[in-house]
Parts: sequence; structure tokens; C-alpha cells
Amino acid sequence: MKAFAAAVIAAIALGVLAMYALTSNQTFAYQAFATSGTRVSEPGINLVGPKWNGMPVVGEANDAAHGKAEGEASHPKRS
Amino acid sequence: MRRAVTLFSTLVLATTLLAAPGAFAPARAQNPITQDGQNPMGAKPTADSVNEEFLFKNADKITGRVSIPDRKSANLIQPQGREYRAFRESWLPWIGGLGILGMIAALAGFFLWRGRILTDDTQESGRKILRFNAFERFAHWMTATCFIILSLSGLNYIFGKRLLMPLIGPEAFGSLAQWAKYSHVYLAWPFMLGVVIMVAVWVKDNIPNRIDWAWIKAGGGFLGKGHPHAERFNAGQKGVFWMVAGFGAAMGVTGLMMLFPFTVLDINGMQVMQVIHALIGVAFIVGILAHIYIGTLGMKGAYDAMGSGEVDLAWARAHHDLWVEKQQAKTASGPQLTGRHPAPAE
Repeated sequence: MKAFAAAVIAAIALGVLAMYALTSNQTFAYQAFATSGTRVSEPGINLVGPKWNGMPVVGEANDAAHGKAEGEASHPKRS
Repeated sequence: MRRAVTLFSTLVLATTLLAAPGAFAPARAQNPITQDGQNPMGAKPTADSVNEEFLFKNADKITGRVSIPDRKSANLIQPQGREYRAFRESWLPWIGGLGILGMIAALAGFFLWRGRILTDDTQESGRKILRFNAFERFAHWMTATCFIILSLSGLNYIFGKRLLMPLIGPEAFGSLAQWAKYSHVYLAWPFMLGVVIMVAVWVKDNIPNRIDWAWIKAGGGFLGKGHPHAERFNAGQKGVFWMVAGFGAAMGVTGLMMLFPFTVLDINGMQVMQVIHALIGVAFIVGILAHIYIGTLGMKGAYDAMGSGEVDLAWARAHHDLWVEKQQAKTASGPQLTGRHPAPAE
């Protein structure tokens, strides 16, 4: 029983150690791949939108994901 | 006469008007300007341009150019991704489900047919022999507890959204899956360490030899009565050892490829690693299910070896007679523990 308890404690301890080791070397994609001229996504926003529930609802998902263009339509330029 | 000339002239004019389009038709058909997709020189402007078929002859995916440091985002078309998705969403759940449920059914059937493999209580000696020392048990249980968490969290990748999410709802499943992912990623490290320790400690006792072949031919004590000769580990245990060593190494390597994505491999390689990781993971779980069965329910006295570390001397003689002889030859005091020094496990 002592060996089992020690094994569980050691597993958790090593797991926590691995967590700190891994997270110290990780950065978010929007941080790692952004440049001074390029913005990559934003924290907390994903492509499927905030109301995504896994169900393939056509239309609603697309609206939430990409949004709709708002405002007046632009007029063609006259040359 | 004048009327005849007028009639003749009208006929000639009408004939000319009718025949003219037919006469000029071939010439107009050959005029390149009137043909769609052709320039005035008669050549198709897109004939020599690259197309999808041409690009796939040069590479297994079509890429573009991006200005951000993430070059992977330049991938435009990767056909292998469709094959990977088909495997991930269609084949893998069936392979995993049939494999695991099949093993559980096979073990249940074996238990109903064979029952628990017992050792006669009257033959127990009352004396104990140390089968696994504390460090060996520590390494085993560290690996085992990690394996169980890794298995459950790994199966959640395959079956979670199909089985769990409809039961507990998407929000609870999202939290559960997030923690399962954390446990999978972080407990992989003590698991890999445990496999390395176990291999280092037990490899010398797991080299196959002729005794193993005789053990297999005798059915290993599962099929007939009595137990064939065995050293510290019989052929079945050696099979489990090499399975853990091989599958553990494969899971470790493929897992590291995924823990550090795109460090060594591209997107195709990442998908191949996931397929290998998933298939070996399922086979690993199936194999360990049999190991758990025979170590607990399937055989009386087997759990004590890894539980307390000590087994009854009679049980050890029945299952590992050659090992007991060696232990007794090593220690002048014999292998019993009660009131004396414990026999070394090695």
C-alpha cells in the first residue's frame, strides 16, 4: 500500500512538474505568430463563434462565425 | 422583256443573299476572335498554366505564401487530411469499440468457461516469499495509475463527444475534456519514466528462452491442470513485458511528436503520428485489460505479488518453480520471510 501511495504521489508530482516545464516554453498562437504588421486572431475568440455547440446548424453557425456586413453599400466609383 | 430582266435580277439577288452566309461560314469559323477561350493567335491562354493535377505531381499538398511566421498556415489543399478525417471519424471509433468490447467479452467468456484459477488452500505453506520489492511495485503502480488515466482520457478523444456529451451536456463535457486533455499531456511524463524504469529493472528476467516455448505448448496452466515450469516470469508475463516496452516506446515517441507539434514533422507526418498513436493505444488498452484480469480476478494469489509484494511460497512453487529454486539456492536461510530476512526478489 505504501508503494502504491508513493507511486500516485510521485505521478502527480511529476505531472505538475511537467506542466510547469511545458507551459513555461509555450506561447499562444496569437502571440507566437503575430508580427508588427500582422495580427493573428484574438484571445478568447475562435472561428466557430461563441455559441457553437457541435451541431452542424447551417446558417446560424456561419452567421456567428463570420458575421454579416453592416452599413450602407458602397457606391461604384465614377471615373 | 424588261419585266423578265427585273425578275431575273431579283432571283440573282435573292440567291446571293441566301448563299452568302454559307459561303463565309468556314472563314468565320476559323476566325480566332470569335472562339471562346482563344486569343487572336489561336492559342489557349490557360493551356500552359499550372493546375491542381500538375501541382500534386510535384508535392503531396498545395501551398501558398503567407507573411506571418507560421509557415504551416500556407497550406491550401492537403488531400491526406481527408483520409485522416475519415479514419478519425469513421474507422477509429469502430476499431476502438470492437477491440475493447471484444476483449471484455472474451475475458468474460473465458471466466465463465475456466473460472478463477485457484491454488488449493490446503497446500498453502503459510510462509511468504518476496516477489517484488518496494521499488519494483512503486514503478509498476506509477506506470499503471498513469496508464489508466491516459487510457480514459485517450478514449475520451474518440468516444467523448459521441457518448459523454449527449449525457452530460456540452458545457460539462467541455470542462471534462479540457481536464482530460491536461491529464493526458502531463501524466504522459511519469508514464514514460515508469516504462523506462520497468524495462531497466526487469529486462534481464524477460529474455525469451526454451522454457517459455514449453510453457506455451503446455497451455500455460490456463488450459490443462497443473502449471508448467517457469522462471521469474513465464511466457505470458514476458509477452506483457515486451508489449509494454514496445507499445510504451511507440506511444512515447508518437506522443512526443504531438506534444511538440511540427517540430520534426509536417502536417502529413502529424496525422500519421496520430493514427499510429490511436491504433497502438487501442491495442495497448486491449492487452492491458487481459493483464488486469489475470492479475486480479483471473488467478487467485496473483494480486498479492504486486499488492503487498509477498506471495505464499506454495503459490510461488506452483507458478514459478524454477525461480523459487534459484532464490532458495541464493539464500541459505531459504526464501521465507517470517522471522527471517526476506529473500531478495532479484
